[in-house]
Amino acid sequence: MQADMEIKQEQELLYEQKKKKSTRKKLDSWLLLLPTLAIFIFFFVLPLFFLFITSFKTFDASSGIGNDWTLQNYVKFLTDTFYLGVLWRTVKIGLITTLAAIAISYPVAYQMTIAKGRTKNYLTLLVLSPLLISMVIRCYGWVILLGNNGVINNALVKLGLIDQPLTLLYTEFSVVIGMVHVLFPYMVLSIMGSLERIDPSVIRASQNLGASPIRTFFSVVLPLTLPGIFAGSVMVFSLAVSSFVTPAILGGPQVKLMSFLTYEQVTTMLNWPYGSAIGFLLIFIATITIIVYSKLLAKSEKGVAIQ
Amino acid sequence: MRKKLPKFSLHFFCLLVYIFLAAPIVVVLLSSLTTTDYIVFPPKGITFKWYAELVNHPEFMQSFTLSIIVAFGTSIIATIIGTMASIAVVRYEFKGKSVITQLVGSPLLIPSVVFGVALLQFYSWIGIAASPIALVIGHIILTIPFVMRLVVASLVGFDRSIEQAAMNLGAGSLRVFFQITLPIIKSGVIAGAIFAFITSFDDLTVALFIVSTDVVTLPVRIYTYMQYQYDPIITSISSIMILLTVVLMVVIERVLGVGKVFASKN
Repeated sequence: MQADMEIKQEQELLYEQKKKKSTRKKLDSWLLLLPTLAIFIFFFVLPLFFLFITSFKTFDASSGIGNDWTLQNYVKFLTDTFYLGVLWRTVKIGLITTLAAIAISYPVAYQMTIAKGRTKNYLTLLVLSPLLISMVIRCYGWVILLGNNGVINNALVKLGLIDQPLTLLYTEFSVVIGMVHVLFPYMVLSIMGSLERIDPSVIRASQNLGASPIRTFFSVVLPLTLPGIFAGSVMVFSLAVSSFVTPAILGGPQVKLMSFLTYEQVTTMLNWPYGSAIGFLLIFIATITIIVYSKLLAKSEKGVAIQ
Repeated sequence: MRKKLPKFSLHFFCLLVYIFLAAPIVVVLLSSLTTTDYIVFPPKGITFKWYAELVNHPEFMQSFTLSIIVAFGTSIIATIIGTMASIAVVRYEFKGKSVITQLVGSPLLIPSVVFGVALLQFYSWIGIAASPIALVIGHIILTIPFVMRLVVASLVGFDRSIEQAAMNLGAGSLRVFFQITLPIIKSGVIAGAIFAFITSFDDLTVALFIVSTDVVTLPVRIYTYMQYQYDPIITSISSIMILLTVVLMVVIERVLGVGKVFASKN
């Protein structure tokens, strides 16, 4: 009887200790998270929330933000052909950038996958280094290259291919070039990821069955890397539509995109509510692509698992 | 021959892509050596006078110093609090974990223009003026996702029995962290710190909204200068920035090897 009591007490003690330990653990985890969470709530969530509210306010010429509530900012954007044109141009440049990135990334990813040892390391370094060099500087390099008196125009004139310099800078073309340059590494990484997962025996099997290298590529390798291409495209597209530096430097006011419009409305027109509304439409486009993608991915999970 | 042709065209195509990648960077580096008063490529003659000329432009040097200070502050704070948060996310189970993980990753999805505008509005409402601290706070938000990805990657697959052994031998939890845990996850932490530094040092979009006339970071200075001027001084300051980045990259390479950094980043 007494022994029973003792055991029970002991168990209770253990339980108490365990409970203490788990609350202690909980406390630990929250203490570790506290600084990051605090800074995110104060300087990320709150500012964005207030900006969202601003986007439903009227414009006031003296203070920027009026007192009344309105949906007019969103309605204005979605019914005006000029602004819809900017939206369309943003999406179009995003799509062209994505396609161009796939076209130039695939061979590079392929080459990197078949390379070995040191060569592979150097190629990785070469391909990824642009990610780390200031975007402003890279875009400026393109300004020097594409300008009316730039390297490309001068070379073409000297070769006698053209009489007048071509307008390359501050066009959709220059924006796409700059964006592909900036976003290319993301696509390469993504495609490389799926190329490396291919089981070499599948390729050998195809070759043993008599398929030519080209046939093997198109019927075996390419289909197996579609998930990588798809993931890379989503990333490149959403980064392209929301990027600011590249279109600001290589497009300027001549090639207005959503991000530049947001900037212009806020800093030049001082129309905060309208600028915020454009900003949130931009967030909407960028996130909707990613949400649709993850929904599709969840649906096709079965297919991926079989592979 | 039939087999060699596809391989040759593959390498040739890739060579063109590498030229495309290097072109704008090489052009900036070489143009900084020109003797002319305007930017020209290929440069005419070779001189370092545009680097010496920087001495006459104290505003560039000021911005350079400011950018270094901001990037340094961002990197240290983001790495410390990001590492703490990563440990919480990897080692503890708690309610709302997935929401928190998504929250701290979301700056990658929010266009930085919108974040810049939001921060500007918020700062002006609560009365924070443009200052290095105001910039550091904005940059911490931008860099935490990178730091956490890299640190989380190095914490996953960590053998915790070593920590247990140290604790059984009587080491306190702080001592265990600094003598056991930190040395093992060191590479992820250093990579995170360097990424944070580079991201902060390069940021134009968010800084553009926060800066004032006396507090101007280098990318903003370069951006505003190049809208009105076309002299080679911009290429010389840019070249210094490129060289700084190259030095940091060599450090990354020495510490862990480039492939590893990006593999875990994906």
